[in-house]
Amino acid sequence: MAGEAARAWQKNREDLPPSAAKRLSSWLRNYRSFAGIPDELFDKMGYPREYWLRFLGEFADFPEAEAEDRFSIATRHIRDTGVTYRVYGEENERSWPLSPLPLILSDQEWSQIAAGVEQRANLMEALLQDFYGPGSLVADGALPAAAITGSPDFIRALQGAPAPGGRFLQIYAADLGRGPDGRWWVLDDRTQAPSGAGYALENRLVLSRAFPNIYNSMNVRRLAPFFDEMRRGLAAGADRDDPRICLLTPGSFSETYFEQAHLARYLGFLLVEGEDLVVRNGRVYVRTIAGLKRADVILRRVDADFVDPLELNGASRLGVPGLLEAIRQGGVAVLNMPGSGVLESKSLQGFLPKLCRRLLGEDLKMPNVATWWCGQPNERALVERNLESLVLAPAFNNPGLGSLAKPTLVGDLPPEERARLLRRLADRPGDFVGQEVVRLSTTPVLRGGELAAAPFVLRVYAAATPDGMKIMPGGFCRTSDHPDVRAISMDENAQTADVWVIADKPVDRVTLLASKDDVRVRRILGHLPSRAADNLFWLGRYLERAEATLRLVRGLCTTLLGPGPGAESAHQSLALLKSLLIEWDVLDEDSADAEVLEAARNTLHDATASGSVIRLVQAARDTAAKTRERLSGDFWVLLLKLENALAENARHVPSEVEMLRQADDALQVLSSLSGLAQENMNRGAGWRFHDMGRRIERGINICRFARTFATRDATVDNLDMMLDLADSQITYRARYLVGLAATPVRDMVVLDPFNPRSLAFQLVTLKEHLAILPSLQDDGIMEPPRRILVALAAHVETMDAEPLEAEDLLGFEHALMDLSSAVSDRFFLQGANATPQAKLGGLG
Amino acid sequence: MIYGLRHRTTYSYGAEVGFARCVLRLTPATSATQTVLQSALRITPPWASRTDRVGPFGETVTTVIIQTPHRSLQIEATARVEVNAPAIDEFQPSLPWEMVREQTLEGSEMGPLGPAAYLYPTARTRLVDDITDYARSSFAPGRQILEAGLELMRRIHADFVFDSDATEVSTPAGEAFLARRGVCQDFAHIMIAGLKGLGLPAAYVSGYLRTIPPAGQPRLEGADATHAWVSLWCGDALGWIGFDPTNAVLAQNDHIVLATGRDYSDVAPIEGIILAPEGQTLKVQVDVIPEPEPAKADANLMVVR
Repeated sequence: MAGEAARAWQKNREDLPPSAAKRLSSWLRNYRSFAGIPDELFDKMGYPREYWLRFLGEFADFPEAEAEDRFSIATRHIRDTGVTYRVYGEENERSWPLSPLPLILSDQEWSQIAAGVEQRANLMEALLQDFYGPGSLVADGALPAAAITGSPDFIRALQGAPAPGGRFLQIYAADLGRGPDGRWWVLDDRTQAPSGAGYALENRLVLSRAFPNIYNSMNVRRLAPFFDEMRRGLAAGADRDDPRICLLTPGSFSETYFEQAHLARYLGFLLVEGEDLVVRNGRVYVRTIAGLKRADVILRRVDADFVDPLELNGASRLGVPGLLEAIRQGGVAVLNMPGSGVLESKSLQGFLPKLCRRLLGEDLKMPNVATWWCGQPNERALVERNLESLVLAPAFNNPGLGSLAKPTLVGDLPPEERARLLRRLADRPGDFVGQEVVRLSTTPVLRGGELAAAPFVLRVYAAATPDGMKIMPGGFCRTSDHPDVRAISMDENAQTADVWVIADKPVDRVTLLASKDDVRVRRILGHLPSRAADNLFWLGRYLERAEATLRLVRGLCTTLLGPGPGAESAHQSLALLKSLLIEWDVLDEDSADAEVLEAARNTLHDATASGSVIRLVQAARDTAAKTRERLSGDFWVLLLKLENALAENARHVPSEVEMLRQADDALQVLSSLSGLAQENMNRGAGWRFHDMGRRIERGINICRFARTFATRDATVDNLDMMLDLADSQITYRARYLVGLAATPVRDMVVLDPFNPRSLAFQLVTLKEHLAILPSLQDDGIMEPPRRILVALAAHVETMDAEPLEAEDLLGFEHALMDLSSAVSDRFFLQGANATPQAKLGGLG
Repeated sequence: MIYGLRHRTTYSYGAEVGFARCVLRLTPATSATQTVLQSALRITPPWASRTDRVGPFGETVTTVIIQTPHRSLQIEATARVEVNAPAIDEFQPSLPWEMVREQTLEGSEMGPLGPAAYLYPTARTRLVDDITDYARSSFAPGRQILEAGLELMRRIHADFVFDSDATEVSTPAGEAFLARRGVCQDFAHIMIAGLKGLGLPAAYVSGYLRTIPPAGQPRLEGADATHAWVSLWCGDALGWIGFDPTNAVLAQNDHIVLATGRDYSDVAPIEGIILAPEGQTLKVQVDVIPEPEPAKADANLMVVR
């Protein structure tokens, strides 16, 4: 060994404790890279790189178990609770397992990458300016029209539309690989709505928390300034100061929803779905509980084809009708501009070197994979001659329309498919490109405690700002577990790694904490979107209904276990309980005669009955999922636990005692949930809607229970049941020593404003909520929800328990239902600003 | 030939509708062979705002917003259109079809008049091997495109049954092809899918067809219908030629063009979003009334003048 690398290597080993040095030596000895393929750990002379040695040396110094522990705790912490609320095993969720080893790059290496990506981002912007502007590249013959028109993201409806702040691209990403000659190559351009920046941020949080000492000692360049620039760039697209910036997500079914939620939260943007937005008078508004509020800038994560069901894909439920019209009128900045995705077409790649010279007056700094568009006769001939050694790839990204779906090695195809593909190539050559097979370089990952070389792809991000493109010093790295280094075999189930760019000198510690001059103190977090209010309200109602239903189950079981289950009055109580369960769609009419135990079991577990506890909990979870970014991680975890416990319990053999235990356990979780909501939710509008849902539901349930069990001539057993259902036994016994009597019980559960379980108490709380929520007009006239509530509360406050009739209770119940509808009309649907509910069919 | 057109669409709703945003493509196109002498839109209830623009394929697009609460929405488009298409000689020589494919790929016209806009598959005209192969039997190597196109059009006319119950407005070409039946929209989509399968640029044309009532019977009011056919690009020299597979004729003076696009969804006459909880019913009435040719005497007069 000679030179600097050798010296570093020597020094490194001397500095390490013997056990770490031993481990490091063993890692290096057993590391196998691929012949002829560059590797990140070993340079081309076969020496380990200095910064890798520094990292691995410190890493080796952790006892193996401790390294693992730190890493897994940090991962769990970030992913489960704090930031993304990711839940393993959930449908559609792409979970990228994170490698404990980052991809490490030197500053020098990075400056080449950054320069290449920056140039390319500028080239992309220039291309879009031309495609949607003068179109001179095509008119002059520099680019055939058919190399563009095949892209579903070539949005003709936006030709000539003004780009916000003069830019089409806010964020651009390039997927890079290192070629056999050691140079970086562009594998793919991402211009539609590049994903992964949020994962990069998340990966950084995990690694920097798991290994803070290594991270701090290695001068890793920080990511936060980049995101600050990105936010600045987005704000620059707006036409007023302090703009409202929204991140438009396809919703919780999107495979990168968690990343979007994370980014929105980190950057302080409002996370919205198409339903949250409406277009009025050429501008875009967020529907909030305080009426329509302008959306100035929309960071788009919905594919262009889906953004406007009126002008583009009519089947889309993700978009905003009229959005394109608003863009054309310059009333909103949507970034990246819909239509930017056209540049992801591989048909364009072969033209880029020439176009770069023409548009930027310089050579491409970073080459892309050699690509030939078969729409040109010479290129087609070349591809046909080299079919066995090339990849045949779709020229345009238009899956589902019958063209080739994904890059294919013709040589690997069975004869029949091969013949079909070649016929397609002859019929429609413009649909195809031929591409050189790329071999990726490798980087170390840990596999079974040993270092192994894994092929990787690096995604690098550029953000447009008024001062030009800024490059994120880091990125999103995916490594493959497959030993095949051909880029085409990069599978979806790859691992991901943080990307560390090592600065030559210590880096400033920056976070997104703004300097104190920029921050205006606020206690209320903007206006709550109507959809979020809607979901939180229903979450409250579902949880409260589940609680009431569990109390009915408990009623069934305690009556059975009671001293005289055979007695006439117990029999009557059971019949009443069952009739309530039938009303609530838990049991059907036919099962009225079924065994009580069976009824209790069905109430808990019957997934076919819409009112069963399991179904209510599922409904609560679905509703919560739609607004997860507004719930604490603990809340979400508890809710899932409840659902899992119920599912698990369904397998147990039913007995009265067992059912009682299950109901009690579930009630405990529910009361933890309500405690969390009371103690941990910020007292903003979101909490108020959640609490209003609970209060209205509880009020309705109390009325119903009282009508059933607290009639004027109720038996002692029924009054006892009433107190159980209203969870008011202790209060009653403390207050009335004489025993159970109808009037005091009725007073306590219906009219007593000091009992938190009574109807009167719910009304007092509801009045507080409505008084604080915003009104649409400040003309001093009460809005319908308050009108209903004030009348109802006055009625209840002035009532006496003695003359309280069943009709009165029924009247209260109906008034509460009206209140629920009025809240929904006023705050969620908003009359003329409601979410569009129907499409006009056009007939030919 | 001058036509008077009336296209009236009436939506009836089960409940009151407070807001509607509609995109209308009901103003006939102006082109080398067609002149719009007059056109108007009448909407009840009246619109709160209206914007007109030229759409992505050169069509006139009108966006209206209606904020008057209503239970029924009536949109009536009227126009006077002069069609003056030169007669097309079916037997004139044309390029071998493969040359048309090459010209399409080389072309430097991105706009709605060039062929490149109509080369690629769409949701309703996906590439389906069976449809391509069906089309291929008319396109022997080297055959002239006009001759091959005419044969494909006639085969579709002969092989498919006109059946207005077989398909819906949303049916893609592949389904109608399997069923071997459908309406003008389906036949147009099938022919387009077949031509695209061979790498040829074909457009979807919506419009009206002059109908001739059975001998001795008066024309029935509102009994006409909208129509759809195919426009095939036949090379730089011949340009676009209209093929009507429903009637096995070339589109000439009896065909009035409303709009051209890649498939039905680009030219749908009415698309809209309303706020309504209930269902809707729809009634469409179309009248295509040819104006009498000017009397001979007038013609003479003009010559004299």
